[in-house]
Amino acid sequence: MSTVELRDLRRTFGSVVALDNLDLDIRSGEFVSMLGPSGCGKTTALRIVAGFEWPDSGAVIVDGQDVLGQPANKRNMGMVFQSYSLFPNMTAQQNVEFGLRVRKQSHERRAKRASELLDLVGLASAMSRYPRQLSGGQQQRVALARSLAIEPKVLLLDEPLSALDAKVRVQLREEVRRIQLELGITTLYVTHDQEEALSISDRVAVMSAGRVEQLGTPAQIYSGPRTAFVANFVGTMNKLEGVVMSSEDRVVSCGPIKVIVPDPTFIHAVGENVELYIRPEDVAIELLPVGGSPAPGYFEGRVTSLTFLGPVTRVGLRTDIGALLADVSSAVALNLAADAPVAVQLNASSLRSLDASPESQSAPVS
Amino acid sequence: MAQVSASPAAPAALSSHRLRRVRSRVPVWHLLWLLVAAIFFLLPIYSVVQFSLEGTLPGQGVFHWYETVFDDPMFRSTFWLSIQISLETVAVSLLLMVPTVFWIHLRLPRLRPVMDLITILPFVVPPIVLIVGLAPMLRKFSWLIVRPEVLALIYVVFALPFLYRALDAGLRAIDLRTLVEAAESLGSSIPGTLLRVILPNLRAAIIGGSLLTVAISMGEFTVASLLGFFTFPVYTYEIATSTAYEGVALSFISFIFVWAAMLALYLLGSGGRGAAGVAITD
Ligand SMILES: Nc1ncnc2c1ncn2[C@@H]1O[C@H](COP(=O)(O)OP(=O)(O)O)[C@@H](O)[C@H]1O
Ligand SMILES: [Mg+2]
Repeated sequence: MSTVELRDLRRTFGSVVALDNLDLDIRSGEFVSMLGPSGCGKTTALRIVAGFEWPDSGAVIVDGQDVLGQPANKRNMGMVFQSYSLFPNMTAQQNVEFGLRVRKQSHERRAKRASELLDLVGLASAMSRYPRQLSGGQQQRVALARSLAIEPKVLLLDEPLSALDAKVRVQLREEVRRIQLELGITTLYVTHDQEEALSISDRVAVMSAGRVEQLGTPAQIYSGPRTAFVANFVGTMNKLEGVVMSSEDRVVSCGPIKVIVPDPTFIHAVGENVELYIRPEDVAIELLPVGGSPAPGYFEGRVTSLTFLGPVTRVGLRTDIGALLADVSSAVALNLAADAPVAVQLNASSLRSLDASPESQSAPVS
Repeated sequence: MAQVSASPAAPAALSSHRLRRVRSRVPVWHLLWLLVAAIFFLLPIYSVVQFSLEGTLPGQGVFHWYETVFDDPMFRSTFWLSIQISLETVAVSLLLMVPTVFWIHLRLPRLRPVMDLITILPFVVPPIVLIVGLAPMLRKFSWLIVRPEVLALIYVVFALPFLYRALDAGLRAIDLRTLVEAAESLGSSIPGTLLRVILPNLRAAIIGGSLLTVAISMGEFTVASLLGFFTFPVYTYEIATSTAYEGVALSFISFIFVWAAMLALYLLGSGGRGAAGVAITD
């Protein structure tokens, strides 16, 4: 088991800054995901760790040793690629054995290890099939087994599931996690799918524009986003615009509604314009009887859209403080129809104010 | 994610009923066209065979001219020489071109248009012009010209466009970068990767390119004759001008040889593909 440290990595392609002084520490045996939109530099970072790409400056330190001087074939890192990468001329078993053949291991040892690993990924029965006789999901399983066969120090995966069907994707990501836990291998996983990252990682590094925007456990990232970018990229956020009414009591007025920001570090002068964020699941709604008016603490809204998401339904609302999204149980949503009047309540303890970005002002908010 | 490999067994799976329907949809003029094409190609061959069986004296067998050819020691020596030169051409071409084209695809993809252009030149420049142009150089290296192997070096140039195009298409058909990187991450060196991963996947391209190279160097007449080497085509020409029947028998023999070579290489090429592909969905 190994530790990996990315130190101050910078990589430019002409005028494009792919990595902007990226720092990331991965503990021994840890599963860390790099999560970010397309083009934020995830692949570049991973390829630098693997040895297929070099930074303009910075260091990649594995077990306390800078590995940038080593060629890719000496780094002993397992890599699973986004595109299908099995050798077409070899069977599943021969693919898994490849790294061991390069290491000149005996025939028996190779065969034993290959069958162990194909077993681990649930493909023992397909060992003599050629890649073209395997489905996409099976090919990625074999690719995983192949990368693990060499007992790599670190496992690197670059969006390995992005070419697969939704259902296979979910199934396989859980298997990747199970195998990673079973072997206790230090893993760096790249994805643009926030659900994927949150569901299988020990920690998630949310990336934007070549740097790590926030690093934390999935729970920390989801419920405590530190920047507007993270809040918007991970899950869905409502944005409220308001004016500070009382600096000391942290009272903000959003149109006709006054809210109290729970965060004690929220320090803004009276009259200042601020943005507040709240997740759809922290917005509660109740059906208003015809002609009725909202109870104290509630304000009125009208349903504009209903999106069925399985157990919950996402309700679009038009309110005095702007458009809002609210998640309600789908059973409750059955009583709602477009344009129905509803009473809306914000779960005040979940309101948060976010800086555009703690270090940079450049994070986009969509 | 549905991948369907072309399956040679597929037609057999069609019911005879459906097959009949498929056949009845082929318009008559398609068949006519096919027939015309077949006559165009087969008639000359038929005439060759026909002619080569004629002109024998009473008491001589039908295959007299073939026997004469096979009995001629010059036939055997020139045929062998041409085969030798062809194999040398193939060996030199492959050694030269496979690593080059591999490297260009992997590391210098911007050179590809340049390569396209360079490898077209032998098409555009006729052999006779090439030889006239090469003459001063050949004179300078006249000590080299005494050996017929020098022809192989010239045929490498002639075969270049064909081999390059075959290899280029073969490399385009695989995800070269990913395969090389996958092998590298597993510890393989670049030469090891070329040998163990890339070459096996280029098999069809290499065989196809080699086949064309053999065809070109087995049949090349102009340069061999100008440089005064007695290769198989030069020998064929000489025989044809002296004994027409024997010459025609000879050209039919070379036909057969080329077909046999093609068939052998084709079988070699398709042998590694394994069983019929299976349609797979996730
Ligand atoms: N080889 C390259 N040449 C030029 N630009 C590149 C190259 N590789 C990556 N880039 C650029 O660097 C940025 C980051 O790319 P990448 O690391 O692939 O992002 P991600 O994997 O997060 O989608 C992108 O703007 C991309 O266009
Ligand atoms: Mg990428």
